[in-house]
Amino acid sequence: MDLILAFITGLTTGGLGCLAVQGGLLASSLAYQIEQDMLAHSGAGSSQKFKPHIAQPIFLFLLAKLIAYTILGFLLGALGSVFQITPLMRAILYFVIGIFMLGNGLRMLNVHPIFRYFVIEPPSSLTRFIRRKSKNGASLVTPLFLGTLTIFLPCGVTQAIMAVALGAGSPLQGAAIMFAFILGTTPIFFSVSYFATRLGATIEKYFTRIVAVTLLILGLVSVDSGLNLAGSPLSFSSMISSLAYSDPVIHPTSEGFSIEVNENGYTPVIMHLPAEKPVSLEWVTHDSQSCARSIVIPGIDYQKILPTTGRVTLDIPAQKKATILRYTCSMGMYPSQLVFDLD
Amino acid sequence: MKKTFRVRDMECPNCAMHLEGLEDELLGVKRISASYKKQVMEVEFDETKLSVEEIIAAANAIGYHLESVSP
Repeated sequence: MDLILAFITGLTTGGLGCLAVQGGLLASSLAYQIEQDMLAHSGAGSSQKFKPHIAQPIFLFLLAKLIAYTILGFLLGALGSVFQITPLMRAILYFVIGIFMLGNGLRMLNVHPIFRYFVIEPPSSLTRFIRRKSKNGASLVTPLFLGTLTIFLPCGVTQAIMAVALGAGSPLQGAAIMFAFILGTTPIFFSVSYFATRLGATIEKYFTRIVAVTLLILGLVSVDSGLNLAGSPLSFSSMISSLAYSDPVIHPTSEGFSIEVNENGYTPVIMHLPAEKPVSLEWVTHDSQSCARSIVIPGIDYQKILPTTGRVTLDIPAQKKATILRYTCSMGMYPSQLVFDLD
Repeated sequence: MKKTFRVRDMECPNCAMHLEGLEDELLGVKRISASYKKQVMEVEFDETKLSVEEIIAAANAIGYHLESVSP
């Protein structure tokens, strides 16, 4: 794959798509810096305009991300198809990170002292070392650490590029592909997060609260994605889609069982299929660019990245009557169902 | 000498590091360990060179109010 194409993919679909899923980690990075700046500002008096120093943590976050993904590309190129994070591992990760964000959001709102335990406090010996290395020790380490963590939360487009790196045939080629792609996502990440935060500086008084509420929202989204990826019926979006699409009942057409994969998810959202016998189901894509293209069905341990345009057949073994197989995209979005209730 | 203080106005994790930074500024301090979770700060110091009042004043100067909790 051409490196320029990888870069352009990152610059366009990759940047915004990944910001949705990795924005929480970036917000967490900035939260610490903003808190520190707020504190310094309040100590200095209110005559000066509050300006959080967020360029550095954003830069460090993105730098760590770029380095981590380049290393990941190198490993993918080297290890071929051996390396793969299972949907369940990703589900657990989303869930844990979601809880982490919720806890930190509630901590920043001073809801209860118990939420202070959501902060990972490094030992004094380490902070002493960091402090002596740099005056802004903690603000350096947090974005670097969280930026590195993004490799465990790849969005749909990133996964597609990872698959390309996997098949690149050489570690250097794999590293170059991932580097070009992540570099492409960087301008969108930087500008959206930087200007969004600067805008907040004009409403300084509520700034910590805005960050806290953002963390709460992103935390809920992350927990929801984790539940979806684990195939749980208890996620908010799954419950909403069940209610929204429970009526009318959509039956398969005479053309067979096929599901349209488009920019907004899957059509139909609830597919009724015959029970007690094997079923052949076809995924149909028409220039699909969203994460819906990367499908995960936890119940039958199925995950597949579909071509942008084309048809892919899935053979499902016989399922008992009233079985529901829940599936989503690999980011835990667009929860949909295969319901085996037809004769 | 080792002394523990309660710091109720430690509002963020970086405050702990901020307080620990006094270690480099106060003559006579051997070690400072602060915890945001527990809202405490432990100071190990040479009482011939530094007094408890000076520690409290130094913390006060950077925006924190210390309360003694151990002799």
